Amino acid sequence: MVEHIGASEVTRVAVISCTDWQAVAAQCELYSRKQWFDAVAVLHAQRVVARTVYAAKQGVQIGMRRREAQAVCPDLHIAANNKERDRLMFESVVRAVGELVPLVEVSTPGVILLATRGPSRYVGGDDALAQRLHGITHNALALLADGRPIVFGVGIADGRLTALVAAHAADGGHLVVEPGESAQCLAQLPVSVLADFAEIDRDVVSLLHRLGLSCVGDIATMKPSDLVGRFGPVGLELHRLARGYDRHPPITIAPPPERASTHRFELSVEDVNVVVATARTVADELVTHLNNQGVSCVRLHICMQTDHGEQSDRLWYQPEGLTAAAMAERVRWQMDAWIATRGLTSGVVLLRYLPVGLRAREGRQLGLWGGSTQADEWAARAIERLTTMLGSDSVRVAQWRGGRDVSEVFALTPAAVVDMERRAESVVIKETVWSGALPTPSPSIVYDEPLLAVVNDASGCVVSVSGRHELSASPAHVVIGRHAYNVVSWAGPWPVEERWWDPLRQRRAVRMQMVLARDADDMVRTTTHAVVMVLEHGEWWMTARYG
Amino acid sequence: MSHSLPVAKALQPIIPDGVLVRGRTVLCSGDAAMSTALLAVSAATQAGSWLAIVGVSDFGLMSACEQGVALQRTVLVTPTANKKDWTSTVAAVADGFDVMMLEVPQGVSGSDARRIQTRIQARRNVLVLVETSRHATPRSVFQPDVVLHTQTTKWDGIEHGAGYVQGRHIDVTVSGRRVPRVMQYVLQHVG
Repeated sequence: MVEHIGASEVTRVAVISCTDWQAVAAQCELYSRKQWFDAVAVLHAQRVVARTVYAAKQGVQIGMRRREAQAVCPDLHIAANNKERDRLMFESVVRAVGELVPLVEVSTPGVILLATRGPSRYVGGDDALAQRLHGITHNALALLADGRPIVFGVGIADGRLTALVAAHAADGGHLVVEPGESAQCLAQLPVSVLADFAEIDRDVVSLLHRLGLSCVGDIATMKPSDLVGRFGPVGLELHRLARGYDRHPPITIAPPPERASTHRFELSVEDVNVVVATARTVADELVTHLNNQGVSCVRLHICMQTDHGEQSDRLWYQPEGLTAAAMAERVRWQMDAWIATRGLTSGVVLLRYLPVGLRAREGRQLGLWGGSTQADEWAARAIERLTTMLGSDSVRVAQWRGGRDVSEVFALTPAAVVDMERRAESVVIKETVWSGALPTPSPSIVYDEPLLAVVNDASGCVVSVSGRHELSASPAHVVIGRHAYNVVSWAGPWPVEERWWDPLRQRRAVRMQMVLARDADDMVRTTTHAVVMVLEHGEWWMTARYG
Repeated sequence: MSHSLPVAKALQPIIPDGVLVRGRTVLCSGDAAMSTALLAVSAATQAGSWLAIVGVSDFGLMSACEQGVALQRTVLVTPTANKKDWTSTVAAVADGFDVMMLEVPQGVSGSDARRIQTRIQARRNVLVLVETSRHATPRSVFQPDVVLHTQTTKWDGIEHGAGYVQGRHIDVTVSGRRVPRVMQYVLQHVG
């Protein structure tokens, strides 16, 4: 499986990248409400997913829990994850860059990609372009945050990966990697950049480490056939990335002309939902057509026109290939941004999909006897419809991850990105017993936001736990919110010690089970609740209930 | 399409007819509402039905897995806060899923509830409503066919500073439109 790669097939791209954009977007939104916080962190599923530079300096790290983060940075402002906000806030930057370069690609909010060939000639070279882009972005961000510094970088290089790495390495400035030097530039970097910037699976990266391939350069020196032998198709992608090429080879055969799908609306449509619904049916046809040719679309150019000749162009990228639902979702995003920033003067009359990046489709062998039932088909269709209605983050499925906390054992991932036909493998519990996990049965109500509680002994003193995990006294009374309870029985305390080697992310806590009865109830029979209480940093929390 | 969906063995003597009859609405309330609801849907998901969990906050996935809910056929849906969208979301869910587990938010009107129930009857789904006591709603706007009201009387395995929660005894009061007279049962339950 040897592949010949010509030098011409890698495109030179410029990347503008704002690190931890989610946190910056939250900060800017707060600022628009006349509040300014230096330390902002964005939480998703109880974990920090992004934080501002100031918060990072204080020691807030990605993956921390809320309380760990607040412990290292007491003045931290916590914001919820909001994809809508990320996109809308970023729109002003996209629009500013769009004044110079008409067609830009926004795969995730916070990162803009553009092909440099045209713009670079226009402004007079890569260096000049990097400077121009830096200036434009700087001004746009300054408007959002009133001149307060927001860290971003501009990188220009051959290939996506190198340009992204360059933008990060630029550290607030701009960095240009000369043509043909991408591979040398990457060679010295650790293989973890492949996971950070090229969406390679973390498991693969960890395996590379264990095989002794710790630098990207090591991969480049290997024979592609050996990599394919060990890793399968990913091996070839790794080899391409390590040599500075894009992950998927662009398809060189001229695609048939009918691959562009255009829909003309008979009457101009102003309702976003109607446009998205139509976009969905058009996307369905396009995806079926592409599937029949054995390809899927990784980069899509969506173009929309209004009655008055206004036009919106945007490129979208998804390394795994865009499904019809994903295409329709991109249309919704593009419409929303268009309406929010410019305000349309009339309805949409034309919608065009132009798949500009295609990759060979990984064939999937269906089960011999069909494999899926009528119920599976209906559910799959309903999932797609709900995803279009509510957005992919609102329709989720469970995937086994493992952990000591009941809230950690299963992670929720958008159903749209999961292969629903291979679901059964992903929910299998691989290791049943984690040392330190709660004994089964597990509580059926696990609070997303644990409730602060006060646990007192019979004399009214707060119950504490010593360094040797001994209770100061038997718990007797619990107050949660405005309700007071008596402790009927209890078990524990069971210690939880996680990541003791990491001073910032370590966690020490004790867990207890308690059976609580409502205080002074005039009912004939009192209700009892079994709950899980956690003592962490001197505070008691009710984290789960046997509902 | 069969007339009914199977139900876990422990609930068979309690639920009228011993099965989940398609088109019906089952309301689980009381302090063991969530566990009872999970038990009610588990056998159906194992038999190949899909389950949508709509707007149920603080859902314990681990517990669902232990009680036999087939998570590979379970989808969690978070409706938007808008009340009008809630009804259309539920209607869209009803099109594709045999079993739905719902937590009814505040402000859903009686007519919305009736519309959803009509849809359920037409599409031959099973609707399981969960009323956790944290969001105590005064009285359900839905007209449930079967109401399972639960109250835990005894916790097994946990003592004064020893053991751990191993199971519970639940008093289940069965009532509703399809139940000729109110019945009381004791359910010994793990989870």
